[in-house]
Amino acid sequence: MEKLLEVKDLEVSFQTYAGEVKAVRGVNFDLYKGETLAIVGESGSGKSVTSQTIMKLIPMPPGKITNGQILFDGEDLVPKTDKEMEKIRGKDIGMIFQDPMTSLNPTMKVGMQIMEGLIKHQNMSKGNAKDRAIELLRLVGIPSPEKRVNQYPHEFSGGMRQRAMIAIALASSPKLLIADEPTTALDVTIQAQILELMKELQKKLETAIIFITHDLGVVANVADRVAVMYAGKIIETGTVDEIFYNPKHPYTWGLLSSMPSLDSDEKTELMAIPGSPPDLTNPPQGDAFAPRNHYAMKIDFEMEPPMFKVSDTHYAATWLLHPDAPKVDPPEAVKRRMKNFSSEKLRKG
Amino acid sequence: MNEMAEKQKLVEIINLKQYFNVDKPNMVKAVDGITFDIYKGETLGLVGESGCGKSTTGRTIIRLYNATGGKVLFNGEDVHGKKSKKELKKFNRKMQMIFQDPYASLNPRMTVADIIAEGIDIHGLAKNNKDRMEQVYSLLETVGLNREHANRYPHEFSGGQRQRIGIARALAVKPEFIIADEPISALDVSIQAQVVNLLKKLQKEKGLTYLFIAHDLSMVKYISDRIGVMYFGKIVELANADDLYQNPIHPYTQSLLSAIPLPDPDYERNRKRKVYDPREHGYSRDEEVTLREIRPGHLVACSEKEYKEYKEQYS
Amino acid sequence: MQNIPKELFTPATLNENEAEKISKPSLSFWKDVTTRFKKNKLALVGVVLLILLVLMAIFGPMMNEFDYRTTNLANANKAPSSVHWFGTDELGRDVFTRTWEGARISLFIGLAAAVIDLIIGVLWGGISGYMGGKVDEFMMRVADILYGVPYLLLVILLMVILEQGIGTMILAMTITGWINMARIVRGQVLQLKYQEYVLAAQTLGADVKRIMFKHLIPNSMGPILVTMTLTIPNAIFTESFLSYLGLGVQVPLASWGTMASEGLPAFEYYPWRLFFPATLICITIFAFNVIGDGMRDALDPRLRK
Repeated sequence: MEKLLEVKDLEVSFQTYAGEVKAVRGVNFDLYKGETLAIVGESGSGKSVTSQTIMKLIPMPPGKITNGQILFDGEDLVPKTDKEMEKIRGKDIGMIFQDPMTSLNPTMKVGMQIMEGLIKHQNMSKGNAKDRAIELLRLVGIPSPEKRVNQYPHEFSGGMRQRAMIAIALASSPKLLIADEPTTALDVTIQAQILELMKELQKKLETAIIFITHDLGVVANVADRVAVMYAGKIIETGTVDEIFYNPKHPYTWGLLSSMPSLDSDEKTELMAIPGSPPDLTNPPQGDAFAPRNHYAMKIDFEMEPPMFKVSDTHYAATWLLHPDAPKVDPPEAVKRRMKNFSSEKLRKG
Repeated sequence: MNEMAEKQKLVEIINLKQYFNVDKPNMVKAVDGITFDIYKGETLGLVGESGCGKSTTGRTIIRLYNATGGKVLFNGEDVHGKKSKKELKKFNRKMQMIFQDPYASLNPRMTVADIIAEGIDIHGLAKNNKDRMEQVYSLLETVGLNREHANRYPHEFSGGQRQRIGIARALAVKPEFIIADEPISALDVSIQAQVVNLLKKLQKEKGLTYLFIAHDLSMVKYISDRIGVMYFGKIVELANADDLYQNPIHPYTQSLLSAIPLPDPDYERNRKRKVYDPREHGYSRDEEVTLREIRPGHLVACSEKEYKEYKEQYS
Repeated sequence: MQNIPKELFTPATLNENEAEKISKPSLSFWKDVTTRFKKNKLALVGVVLLILLVLMAIFGPMMNEFDYRTTNLANANKAPSSVHWFGTDELGRDVFTRTWEGARISLFIGLAAAVIDLIIGVLWGGISGYMGGKVDEFMMRVADILYGVPYLLLVILLMVILEQGIGTMILAMTITGWINMARIVRGQVLQLKYQEYVLAAQTLGADVKRIMFKHLIPNSMGPILVTMTLTIPNAIFTESFLSYLGLGVQVPLASWGTMASEGLPAFEYYPWRLFFPATLICITIFAFNVIGDGMRDALDPRLRK
């Protein structure tokens, strides 16, 4: 598979009046053509900052890329000027945001918002752009697109606005689509429709998608590969099956055991992760997750763990994978998942 | 818990209606005639998508809104209607509420101690200042926070901690019944478990009864004994939590359950979503649609005709 | 990989209480605001000026041997000198002393008018906004009607009916001055009354008084304070203006407005008689304005972390 995006050692900081906040502290990942990578994390994990940095949408100041490279199709985006990025945004890289009401211009007709990119990047005439816009609205499943193209965002429902956002993002058939919590604000049934739509379009256009979310159910639904972020770093990455059925990092264990499964009964207590994510104005020495980690060892408080290899596609940054580390028992909920994994592997293998 | 105590009705909601902008062109029938009971010691979950009226139901029960029609009975007494200040205050002590937004549910200008002690202050539940602070410290520890937190301000806490402060505030007046209005929706996944575990612990220790309003169906199923599903201001299904998930009868419930993504890639690869269209019922204008019992303890909103069909299919 | 001592791979003990600890010292909202305010150089200049003005208003008239009313016609219209630091007026009275006596009156009137506006405005706007419905409509219509009355006409009318003096002046200014504050408070209350912490207070059984004074008004203090700091210079200016028109305090009392009024005709020959009161009016208004702007910026929630 061809590599589309390589993020190497990315570090992003913000100058606030409380001090320097290191929001992204060394992120590495690759994205291949046509695949979906889900970046999962909770608030403060740095997932949104990472995705916005790829598009160079972070205001600088107060933000600053203090280290790293973002190689898109071989070219490093980090040194590019805003003007150079404008040629890429909307054309090669599209973005969908969480709140369609604030990401659509309320005073501009929806059709025009789609046409803007087409006219600018593909030099289409207004007439051709309008035809293409109607086609796109139809593609994303909006009924009566010829009428809808002349309407304003407030005349669309929440789900339809999100579809319109997808139309705008995909107008120029970009190679990469960054979707930042696109369904978090939607009802479950609308969310399901939008996810189905995105997968359908991805197949048609062969777009690679970076899907940012905190909802593990959605990840299981859309992702080929997953990167789990905590306190500005990726702490585990693997295929979707590896992450859900054979996770290795205690934080991933914590996430998976803190959710009730449909077959869990009321008697089993949910395993909560104590405390809250750390304050990134003063990132801790050692593993940032250590203070909340039931499985923490002394070394977790002294040195940050490197990425340990579990398989060619699966890596986790935890000292538990060091040869000298004791063998530990993951939580019940995780053990049940691992049982499925081994039987899966046997079935496939 | 013996059968008798378990089956005692604490809250009875009878044909409750809540309409906004009545008699105006933009009238909204947020709650349109719902009837159900909440038994002492149980957790009743109320689920539905945005606009179904579940939050409005909660707020009407606790009398933040005056009901447009119908009745709410607490231990047999009518909650609405003309009441003296004393009578209203009595209800305040029996029913409390936990809110959704940890950032908006605490007064940013008050210390944590004052926030938690507000109920104590209003109802005069402390003998003196020392007693008041002791109660506050005790409540902080009950919800898993430290005594030192009492003099701090809300903005210094994380979302999960703020929700726990909100729970401490509700507990201060020693209520019997707590309405939790989407208490975990705004929290991170790993923090949701903290709050849910706390609520379960408190229920066991203090014999509380909960109405748990949420849209996260997996969490609702975990914490609830029974679940009601709302759709456009009406209850379409009401059953034991397990029964609802294993045997959803109403097509809306089936569609809702089939749309939830679960953290299980295999399940996701094979999941088929069912689409719901309210027109599929084909109700005629004067056909009566009410909640009828299809299986023991399992009620579904249906017409006479559908009742017969469901009974055949599911009993 | 470098050699890591094996003993580091032993489990560490997890203190769950540690996980809940807040490391930073407690920072109340107002401490936060004052920190930001102190960073605003212009606002600090305003504060310094204000402090100087108040000190001079208190101690100024006692600083030399003259009082504000003793006339000495032989000494009339003398330019500023080492004896009369600001010169003398046409009745030989010491302008320095009169200026600072005038400061007392102008500042007092300005402050009094602002405080009265505050009390009436907060109560009126707060109750109107919280009660809503017909009460709100009625209260706001009354305010609108009063607002529409030609202000100067009203003031002149009052001055004619009642005795001219400080009391009448304050009454005239506050009769409609509270409306601005009322509208601002009402706006805040309308926004805040649906906040969940207000709903929580209601479910706990709080009465209207408690909700107003513990929840709604404290959370509106920002705009209230800013409005007040911008009302004071307005009041001082209005007082000067009215005094200038001859509707102000009576001789031999002096306010900056009356002094300016008396000083203008003589400006060509004895400029110091207009210069000092006029300059101080400007400095005072400037100081309050920059303080008000500084407060508004310091209170901006977007700048908060």
